[in-house]
Amino acid sequence: MGSKDVLVIGGGIAGIQAAFDLAEMGVAAYLLERKPSIGGVMAQLDKTFPTNDCAI
Amino acid sequence: MLDAGRHPNIKILAYSEVQGLEGKAGDFTVQYLKKARYIKEEVCTACGACAEKCPIKADNDFEMGLKKRKAIYIYFPQGIPAVYTIDPEHCPMILKGKCGLCAKLCQAGAIDYEQKDEKKTLHVGAVIVATGVTQFDPSVVTEYGYGRIKNVITGLEYERLISASGPTKGHLYRPSDEKLAKRVAYIQCVGSRSLKYKDYCSSVCCMYAIKDAMLAREHDEEAESYIFYSDFRVMGKRYQQYRLRGAEDYGIKYIRGRVAEIIEDAEGNPVLWYEDTRTRQVKSLTVDMVVLCSAAVPSKGVEQLAEVLGIELTPNRFVKTDPFHPTDTTVPGIFVCGFCQNPKDIAESVSQASGAASRAAGLLGITSSGKRTVA
Amino acid sequence: MNEKRGLPSVGVFVCRCGVNIGGFLDTPALVEYAKTLPGVVFAKENLYTCSESGTAEIKKAIQENDIQRVVVAACTPLTHEPLFRAICQEAGVNPYLFEFVNIREHCSWAHMKEGEEATKKAKDLIRMGVARAIELEPLESIEAEVEPSALVIGGGISGLVAAASLAERGFRVALVEREGELGGMLRHLYKLYPSDVPAEEVLKPWRDKVIDNPLVDLYLESEVISVKGYIGNYDVVIKSPEKEIPLKAGVIILATGAQLWEPPEGLYGYNKKDVITQLELESLLMKGKLKADKVVMIQCVGAMSPERSYCSRICCVTAIKNAILIKELNTAASVHILYRQMQAYGDEYESYLRRAKELGVRFVNFSPEQSPVVENQQVKVYHQLLGRELTLPFDLLVLSTPLVTQRGSEALATLLKVPIDQDGFFLEAHIKLRPLDFSTDGIYLCGCAHYPADVGEAVSQALGAASRASIHLTRGYIKVEPIVSSLIDEKLCQGCGLCAGLCPYGAIEMVDTSEGKKARIISVACKGCGICAASCYCQAIRLSHYTREQLEAQIRALLSA
Repeated sequence: MGSKDVLVIGGGIAGIQAAFDLAEMGVAAYLLERKPSIGGVMAQLDKTFPTNDCAI
Repeated sequence: MLDAGRHPNIKILAYSEVQGLEGKAGDFTVQYLKKARYIKEEVCTACGACAEKCPIKADNDFEMGLKKRKAIYIYFPQGIPAVYTIDPEHCPMILKGKCGLCAKLCQAGAIDYEQKDEKKTLHVGAVIVATGVTQFDPSVVTEYGYGRIKNVITGLEYERLISASGPTKGHLYRPSDEKLAKRVAYIQCVGSRSLKYKDYCSSVCCMYAIKDAMLAREHDEEAESYIFYSDFRVMGKRYQQYRLRGAEDYGIKYIRGRVAEIIEDAEGNPVLWYEDTRTRQVKSLTVDMVVLCSAAVPSKGVEQLAEVLGIELTPNRFVKTDPFHPTDTTVPGIFVCGFCQNPKDIAESVSQASGAASRAAGLLGITSSGKRTVA
Repeated sequence: MNEKRGLPSVGVFVCRCGVNIGGFLDTPALVEYAKTLPGVVFAKENLYTCSESGTAEIKKAIQENDIQRVVVAACTPLTHEPLFRAICQEAGVNPYLFEFVNIREHCSWAHMKEGEEATKKAKDLIRMGVARAIELEPLESIEAEVEPSALVIGGGISGLVAAASLAERGFRVALVEREGELGGMLRHLYKLYPSDVPAEEVLKPWRDKVIDNPLVDLYLESEVISVKGYIGNYDVVIKSPEKEIPLKAGVIILATGAQLWEPPEGLYGYNKKDVITQLELESLLMKGKLKADKVVMIQCVGAMSPERSYCSRICCVTAIKNAILIKELNTAASVHILYRQMQAYGDEYESYLRRAKELGVRFVNFSPEQSPVVENQQVKVYHQLLGRELTLPFDLLVLSTPLVTQRGSEALATLLKVPIDQDGFFLEAHIKLRPLDFSTDGIYLCGCAHYPADVGEAVSQALGAASRASIHLTRGYIKVEPIVSSLIDEKLCQGCGLCAGLCPYGAIEMVDTSEGKKARIISVACKGCGICAASCYCQAIRLSHYTREQLEAQIRALLSA
């Protein structure tokens, strides 16, 4: 039996966005992250170019 | 991040690693390891009473080791899931059954020292790889003295220093003497665009160095910034305007030239020797601190993951795709997005992530309303 | 109803958040204080109001005390408002009758060392919250159906990929292309970097997918001349050579691409013969008509300049590619590339640059202050790195000019009510986090209409735009938070149009009525930002959940201390 669920490996900005789009389409998305919480490198950045707004 | 955290169709499997994959597109079985946090996730309220009193300190990985955390810790304050984790390599209760203070303090009753790693299985139709990026360890570029000269730091370490929620609450206290760093040099292409280390361009360092320098000036009107580069990579939307603004409004000095060597003077100030290639003169510059914008490289563990999934990598360990199908890996049903595919900025990562979602939805035939939630 | 003064009965829940609030503020005093406030029939503190036991206490209190308004004094609505609204709903209280007061970020965390003062501030905030709660009104979420079809504007690679992706998922797509053929810019290109495959090879499979899929309706030599409506429900008119065709679309993807800037005749001797653009070089290569032994290329012609301050992203690697192709055709040819900042980014383009160098392509770095000069079939350029002027004779001079905004972009922007940036490219909702969305829901963006992109990047974006657009198509309906603007009374509206002009989401239309022009608010498109209500000088617009009465009650409560 096939499945219509999706596994996203990596909980940084790219993984979060991919999971989010699928979830919004009604697809069950598993967001798997190696670290204790999602956020990835972007969560470590203070602000980001080119508009210097907060990363989180 | 928050939206993903509370989306009914997203189940977050944090602190977990993929260990096996079988099957084919539309029908994969994935084995993964859910590591023990020694905390009941659904009970912990992240109040922090445990960590406040925990007597054991360890390096804080999120803060790039610039700060200590306790053996019971939250990865970062806004992290999702908002739960604490016990570090089994440092907790005396886990190591030798002594202490147990956090269990006594936890009013919610969330501590579980007996918790074990769990092997779990998932059944999915598609997989998206988005394992991201980390920074190349510049200590091998010995001429720059990282690890030897205290006031030479990496770009990611700088991010934590300049962050209001970071170890110095946003003040640029340099590591050697906690003096406020006013003159800072940013060196591009450390270990990148280099035949010795990484032969590619990381695509984002020129721009984040400008941002770093802007932030330094916003924190301190007397801040002086020097960016050493070889080609300024300004190919993104509004990048060149940002670069011009950096010079005009923030007084950033751009110097074309690769720094040959950094030495340390008696006060611990880094002294840079370089050739200004626009004037062809060899010069030196003494600064308070140096930020090495070292190569951005695919996250650790990407080789093992590639092996588990059976996908190919490029010689630089990026996930291999055809240039005109940038979201498709070499295995049908496994898609890719973000920095792990090719160096790129946030906007491109976000675009490509939606692209990978599109490919997965196409494969699975997601069409009219199929409202489902993760059990 | 409340016995005290006929007010709705209010329940107040004060969270200790472990030590985060309880460790700094006098929470029992806050509870006692809340009990004295008008309307309050119940007040209690919880260790964690958000925990299972905390939320159970809220539900129990609602039922036992007939509570009609719920106030939680705890942390931030950003993380916890959805939870408490859901709890209210489960207990039979409309979720919009819930008011959140933040005594953690605003009190205990902000004033850790001034517990007494912070407690006083928390009392003020709770008093304000209770006063607003009394004025709250129940609201029901707004839903609208979505027409399950898309309009894709532009039949270049981006439009083709977007259209094919949506059609493969089973959605009907109308693809509108101004030219007589599909393919856009790629029709004029020879081979594509970095794998040097013919552009036609990349184009063909996507074009076939679009042509072969019965769900795609193709409109060639056609333009969109009218767009009315809002997300889920657009009325579009397409003008084809034969007639005007009306159609319905639920979403719109804008993929109109860009065009190459053509230099004015004479710039660097530009004459389309031996001084040409990269695009003209592509055509020579495609036709096999290139005959040149001494080739010079100048980068950033008309780009990174005061008129066009941006970098066009693709020109450096395009020049490298064409230099490689020339060297491969004729190893004896000399090729010089005069550049300012070489844009060989990412995993592959540096090695591509090295390949060109290995083949003998010469790279000359110049500064904009000392631009090359062309005279007598020679380019004179000051080589910054050598520190001397070079004289390079040529029989072919190629100018690398930037991609610029597509012809007709401004008219299209007006039609769709979407913005354009200072460089003429379409302006996305957020440069980093929403690169493919417009701030108006239902309209999406990809490819060079957004900013110059190479083919791989355009494909990524087109797939991404298809994903974003498909969300609403897949659901078949849209549901929006009922915090929206509405016209209090059409008679009050003077039809000035200020609100429609200011609305960032295209949610206000001006319509002709028997009483003259009037604003009409499309509630499903409204985001509740309140700009219209704040700017309406006739006070004809009200924003639900943030009404004048509610805000005034809050302010009066603050001043009543």
